[in-house]
Amino acid sequence: MQQAPICQKQVMASHRALKAVLIDLSGTLHIEDAAVPGAQEALARLRRAPVALKFVTNTTKECKRTLLERLRRLSFDIEEQEIFTSLTAARNLLEQKEVRPLLLVEDSAREDFAGIETSDPNAVVIGLAPDHFNYETLNKAFRLILDGAPLIAIHKARYYKRKDGLALGPGPFVTGLEYSTDTQATVVGKPEKTFFLEALRDLNCSPEEAVMIGDDARDDVGGAQNTGMLGILVKTGKYRAGDEGKINPPPHLTCESFPEAVNHILQHLLDTK
Amino acid sequence: MRRSASGAVNMAERWPECVRSVKGVILDMCGVLYDSGEGGGVPIQGSVEAVRRLKSSDLQLRFCTNETQATREKFVAKLQRLGFDIDVGEVFSPAPAVVSILKERCLRPHLLVHDDVLPEFDGVDKSDPNCVVIGDAADNFSYQNTNAAFQVLISLDRPLLFSMGRGRYYKETDGLKLDVGAYMKALEYACDLEAEVVGKPAPMFFQSVLNDMGIQPHEALMIGDDLVNDVGGAQRCGMKGLQVRTGKYRPSDERHPTVTADGYVDNLACAVDAILKHRRV
Repeated sequence: MQQAPICQKQVMASHRALKAVLIDLSGTLHIEDAAVPGAQEALARLRRAPVALKFVTNTTKECKRTLLERLRRLSFDIEEQEIFTSLTAARNLLEQKEVRPLLLVEDSAREDFAGIETSDPNAVVIGLAPDHFNYETLNKAFRLILDGAPLIAIHKARYYKRKDGLALGPGPFVTGLEYSTDTQATVVGKPEKTFFLEALRDLNCSPEEAVMIGDDARDDVGGAQNTGMLGILVKTGKYRAGDEGKINPPPHLTCESFPEAVNHILQHLLDTK
Repeated sequence: MRRSASGAVNMAERWPECVRSVKGVILDMCGVLYDSGEGGGVPIQGSVEAVRRLKSSDLQLRFCTNETQATREKFVAKLQRLGFDIDVGEVFSPAPAVVSILKERCLRPHLLVHDDVLPEFDGVDKSDPNCVVIGDAADNFSYQNTNAAFQVLISLDRPLLFSMGRGRYYKETDGLKLDVGAYMKALEYACDLEAEVVGKPAPMFFQSVLNDMGIQPHEALMIGDDLVNDVGGAQRCGMKGLQVRTGKYRPSDERHPTVTADGYVDNLACAVDAILKHRRV
């Protein structure tokens, strides 16, 4: 390592052996179509360390292929099977429960559900799908849920930003259906515990052996730390001053950007023995 | 078994005793007077006659509905066609109530309501809105319209949402439909606010009916098919509440964890039989 140590006095955070690093995409590696400066090179350095990597993101509109294409355009060295999204989590849950979903997701996300039986539905999956959030379709979902179909929410975001201003996200519609059916949705995206556990499942490591890097204090860092992982908050993307104070316990580390987070991991969290 | 059965009988027989002090009766409409459906619906057996008998008694009578898919005038005209002896002045519905609140508080609403209830808001200034009013808008609950209401709320310094009722769902001939409550909850969650409910079970709404009759809460009896909104709402105001086993009634209502009606009756006709019998004693 040629980098000057950031802070030699910062004693080993713990004696845990680090086996995996989970990395958020949007806001952490890139912001829209621009990479965070130094992020590709930092990722390459992290790959030379003996840790497994997984890229985890809450997406309801973009399938893995679209995400991967953007990352490759930005020269990130990433494989498709290393990406774990809230859509993947929803798909895994559907397969586990062996149910046939009414899919209220945008066409661009349907690819990630290829091969899943959707005729005669007995489950409801809700992503960000303004085209499906009309009265007729929601009534269809409502009746299925009343008949016992599980309600699966990709996530429960209140709203999102569109060119013409703020627009309703999936959260409000999920909440409305929960109220009318007197049931509770299963939320599969960050910051849910199951999301992080699912992301780690094929890496053969426990949450205590993993660290999460992200720009969202609550969804990335708080969620990961509630699962037992360490969380590193980066001050890029959606980060706003003071975000680190909004979760308890606070982030393991708050730093400028992804490359600095990688430095910290390489210097302080890896067992160099 | 025997003990609980006789207990239930005692409960059922005990409620009419309270009607001796009752001076006014409030009736829910849909599910008590009629079942909604094609061509305006059908009267529930015996209810046309039951209303007539109540009217010719010494009791005051009012009607209280959360119906917001039509103006009060049109709604009452429909019931008259079904044979009910009802006047517009006896019917309390959320739209006129919300209009008087808007005027009193100088509020200009953005409306997310059914087209057929719009005339109720004719005299209301709707320019440059500073609050949102939602009702059972049915097909008007498109993403675009719901989002427009959200955008008004989120742009306000102090977002203010009025919901005409808070029902979860209702039954129509072609199946169950989401009611206004689902959309009220959606907007509450999106904007992190709590709506002001106008209509049942809001205490103010029941109080306005009591004021109109000029009686105290303990002198009034509410009869409805909705355990939580009709019966529970009335009880919280100090009134007695009966549930009819018609309309949206489900047997599980009689084991509800938080609301227990003062009595359960098979239908409105049975309730009126018992009320009038006890008043004559």
